[in-house]
Amino acid sequence: MPEIDSIPYARTRTSFFSAMYGYGEILPGLLAMLFISVFANNLPGVPNPFTLENLFEWLSGVVGPINHTPLFQILNANFVWNPLLLGLLVGNCFGVPDSWKRGLSLIHILMPLGIIMLAPHFMIGHAFKLGLVPMLLCVLALLGTAGLTLFLVRLFKLDDRHGAIIAGGLCTGDPHACVILMPLIKAKGGQVANATACVIGFGLVAMVVMPSMAAWFGLPQTAFGLAAVLGVGNGAQAMSAAFAYGYEAGRYAGWFDVGRHVIMPAGFLFVFCITFLRKLRHKDDPRVLATRGIERFPIWLGVFIFCWGLTCLHLFREPAHHAIFTMVKWDFSLAAAALGLSLSWRDILAPGLKGLAITAIAGTLRMLVLLAVVALCVKTGLLPK
Amino acid sequence: MSVHSHTTTHTGFDYMANTGQEAQDRDACGILLALAIMVLLTLCQYFGLY
Repeated sequence: MPEIDSIPYARTRTSFFSAMYGYGEILPGLLAMLFISVFANNLPGVPNPFTLENLFEWLSGVVGPINHTPLFQILNANFVWNPLLLGLLVGNCFGVPDSWKRGLSLIHILMPLGIIMLAPHFMIGHAFKLGLVPMLLCVLALLGTAGLTLFLVRLFKLDDRHGAIIAGGLCTGDPHACVILMPLIKAKGGQVANATACVIGFGLVAMVVMPSMAAWFGLPQTAFGLAAVLGVGNGAQAMSAAFAYGYEAGRYAGWFDVGRHVIMPAGFLFVFCITFLRKLRHKDDPRVLATRGIERFPIWLGVFIFCWGLTCLHLFREPAHHAIFTMVKWDFSLAAAALGLSLSWRDILAPGLKGLAITAIAGTLRMLVLLAVVALCVKTGLLPK
Repeated sequence: MSVHSHTTTHTGFDYMANTGQEAQDRDACGILLALAIMVLLTLCQYFGLY
């Protein structure tokens, strides 16, 4: 009798539920993901104190906050990266048994599932409390950064899958977007991990450099709060940079961060649409690899956009929104564990340093333009002093 | 073609590969589960269950 793994999917398929395989087949992999998640994050409903999250929190306490921000938040430790890191360690130290692999393939169900459930998290109405000009700057920074990065990727002939992931992470200021873009771009796991490291690495440099540059531009504290959110990196890095500039700037960064956050989906949708259209225009070009394998606009992405629309109409009100986000944490933790297990150190290092160079160039240009535009807005009275 | 030992079984099943009918079915399962969870949690709220 042939082993189940060697039988083509089409021969065993009875309905679309066949993609979930049998309970016995997926159980070992599912348990592996579950245990990695449970020991990586403080997941709702699991009273386990021995987690990587708690270890990082404790270490952050030992080191002490850096400009009012915990160290491991600056290093982007969160519910996606903790299980990814633990999965990476387990996979590279002990290997991944064949019996786990059917279950680990559930990552391809968990990814669209988690991304759709993220939709209630982005309520645009909240951001317009910031005012029209700051929101306009948020949108322009997002689209400008994505466009600039994608242009540099073409200019320097970087693998467009790697480049698109960097563009998504850099423009949204949220390395989560790198993982969200993975199934859309059809990027390799190593490219995603490498791109994330580039975005976080550049964020660390920008966090130190940007306050000095802002002082040279003579930005007031309120305006630097906005500039830091749009020009540094993840939320914690932006916060730390703003607090380095001044206490008031830090408080304003917290206020403005919502503007960057709620338009995050527009960032990864923009990057996906640009790369998808480019692939359609250059179907026979072997250098165009991003979104290769995606023949039409993914239905699940359409469902995400529909749910995002419902969110903007305030369909998912407070308790439901939080309950759904709790499920997202579970979902992404499991998926990130499977992703971590799939990677070797070599996969992460394989894309080389070109991605980092492009991130640095795009990020530096963004910082300079952003500071100049914000300074101009302050001078002309579009932003308060 | 190189085989990635972390993701591929000795029979050739690669858990990170996601193409064709199988990919479409996985997407369908993801969409169905996401909608089911969101509708359930939202209805629970609207009916005052939490």
